[in-house]
Amino acid sequence: MTALTEQRARLGLKRFGTPFAVVVVLAVLFLWLGSLTLDSIEERTLNTSYLVERTQEHLILTVASSALVALLAIPAGIAAYRVRSKAVRAFVIGLGNIGQATPAVGVVILLAIVWQTGFFTALISLVAYCFLPVLRNTLTGLEQVDQATREAARGMGMTPRQVLWRIELPLASPVILAGLRTALVFSVGVATIATFINAGGLGDMIVNGLKLQRYPVIVVGAVLVAAIAVLIDWAAGLVEDLVRPRGL
Amino acid sequence: MSEPGVGIELSHVTKLYAGQQQAAVEDFSLSVDPGELVMFVGPSGCGKTTTMKMINRIIEPSSGSITIDGQDVLSLDPNELRRHIGYVIQQIGLFPHMTIAENIATVPKLLGWSRERTNNRVDELLRTVQLDPAVFAHRYPKQLSGGQQQRVGVARALAADPPVMLMDEPFGATDPITRQKLQAEFLKLQADIGKTIIFVTHDFDEAVRLGDRIAVLGERSRIEQFDTPANILANPANDYVSSFIGHGAGLMRLALIPISDVELDAPDATAPAVDADSSLRDALDLLMVTGAERVNVSGGEGSLTHARISAALNKARHPVEAS
Amino acid sequence: MSGSLDVFLARRWEDLVMLTLQHLAVVALSLAIATVLGVLIGLLVWDRNVPRTAALTAAGIAITIPSLALLALLSPVLGLGWAPTVVSLVFYSLLPIVRNTVVGLREVPAHLVESARGMGMTPVKTLLSIQLPLAWPVIVTGIRVAAQLTVGIAAIAAYVAGPGLGLYIFKGLSSLGSANALNFALTGTICVVLLALLIDGAFVLIARYSTSRGLRV
Repeated sequence: MTALTEQRARLGLKRFGTPFAVVVVLAVLFLWLGSLTLDSIEERTLNTSYLVERTQEHLILTVASSALVALLAIPAGIAAYRVRSKAVRAFVIGLGNIGQATPAVGVVILLAIVWQTGFFTALISLVAYCFLPVLRNTLTGLEQVDQATREAARGMGMTPRQVLWRIELPLASPVILAGLRTALVFSVGVATIATFINAGGLGDMIVNGLKLQRYPVIVVGAVLVAAIAVLIDWAAGLVEDLVRPRGL
Repeated sequence: MSEPGVGIELSHVTKLYAGQQQAAVEDFSLSVDPGELVMFVGPSGCGKTTTMKMINRIIEPSSGSITIDGQDVLSLDPNELRRHIGYVIQQIGLFPHMTIAENIATVPKLLGWSRERTNNRVDELLRTVQLDPAVFAHRYPKQLSGGQQQRVGVARALAADPPVMLMDEPFGATDPITRQKLQAEFLKLQADIGKTIIFVTHDFDEAVRLGDRIAVLGERSRIEQFDTPANILANPANDYVSSFIGHGAGLMRLALIPISDVELDAPDATAPAVDADSSLRDALDLLMVTGAERVNVSGGEGSLTHARISAALNKARHPVEAS
Repeated sequence: MSGSLDVFLARRWEDLVMLTLQHLAVVALSLAIATVLGVLIGLLVWDRNVPRTAALTAAGIAITIPSLALLALLSPVLGLGWAPTVVSLVFYSLLPIVRNTVVGLREVPAHLVESARGMGMTPVKTLLSIQLPLAWPVIVTGIRVAAQLTVGIAAIAAYVAGPGLGLYIFKGLSSLGSANALNFALTGTICVVLLALLIDGAFVLIARYSTSRGLRV
């Protein structure tokens, strides 16, 4: 009994410790901000409507790109798995390695140079950047499903399609979700860089603060973006726990 | 060349884990003679392994005393103590990142032996366990079969020529054929080196085959019976011991009685022949298989019938030292 | 087009080599510091539940923080250039290294440790000659992951005047519209990719030659 309640308490701490810490940090940040006397430059950015707008831009960029990645990369991963070709597999894995080696800032800036600056460029480069890890996780997640389990399902008369939907995808889901979670956290970071190509977001505050030598602006921008990243990672972890098939 | 065994004395040894009501081992007292091979046999979870591990203080006893060669184990530095006790566990525990030679040299290195002395010892031990040093010394554990790894495990435990060996189901993870082979080799080896050995197993057949004496252990490592295999088979102390022996006690006992112990009838050259140094069980086996009335003991001294074999078994019910 | 790539490279290859070496140097320095720190932290926490969970959770949260945010926060304190770059690269390298040290040590089979202790090895000796060598392949993998991470982050660090190839990427941005913009950004990005792949390859070799033959699959 006591062990159970203790375990529950620990689980609660694990589950809600993170958002609690984030709230505390944000509270401290705004208390500190309230105690400062801001000059006109600082006032231009450190007001509610500006902060809300930047945060919105940041979130839209992050969520939209992650949703697009999920829509594109997971089916692509399934397709790559189902063709069962060594060449396709090697290609995907190799591309994934190169993608991992590519600096995000390079992708964003290159695309802005060859195409245009702005929100859509940022969105496309985010999708391009996060596509490969999710694709790779989908492929490896499906491959990791135990051969015996697959064989048992086939032996009971399931069609390959049924095996995919009822057995392989549920069993691969933790790995696929982990890939999506990584993509989400990536997106928050890369969306910060979007400021370089005039796509808005909280990166604006960081860059402006650095340019204008206004420490409070940098701190608020950086802490807000960090808080978003931590919270999104936490929320994704929660979803992972909830969606994971029982027994895994 | 090899240091002979020394006596081990456990008296009133108890192990009580923190936060647990019942002791894992309760008031355990046992005396092992020098050079004796004592088997601890009992079901899993009975505390036999815990009892053994208190001797080299992998597990510290809560109370009681343990002496080796009259010396109080608990007063020694545990690391120093362990360097002089051979230790073999079921998983063997060969270090996968070290060669076979390096594995065997572990304790000699800890004891600060010279390189030459260590190398000589490694070669000698590899030959003792029938592995060619030229072939095996520089291989890695994963390149050896299970049986070979087990032999290296024994060689490693013998490296510093410890007077005492502790063995925790050392052959438990091998297949039946390999296990029998290892057991036979091990008996031969023990005949040469005469260490004092405590050997834990849950396999009663193994206990009968190897042990000089067997301690049948019940819950909390309670000693239900401590005697020679022949005596335990002939006179189980209680129902617990009987149930542990299971069926076929008679056949097991026959396996312990050498033909040379039995009075023979006149030789019969027409009957099938059995080796003079085999056991009554082998003789009975031959009788059953051939359907013959008697088997001739090769060497020409005499022959054996069913009746002779039963008589020998019944005589053995009155305690007889199995050789 | 006046800014053709071969002319561009011919004129700037010395510059490019220097930036590549700088990039390599800042990554190597950061990884060295992070390895020492990370393995030490791993050693301190791996077998204790609460410190281990605390360390891994903290490192897990730390790594989600966008690198530009961290660099910006550091720059008022540490100024510009190498200092904030190295500090942030070490910061991001800690998670993979600590995590893999912990995982590696925990994966060492208990019976091997028992064997070592049973033969009379002291706890320190067991750690140094059994546990760490057995955990080493996993630790190297952690350092390798950290290397991939830091090569990319170092490119962003050029924004706070950090050393390395990021300079070219940002030069491409600042000369947006000029003929050489693409040359700068493309050269910078491709060199980072090549450097990352090269370092990854180097780690395959390091892992191979620093791991006992008995552990190789």
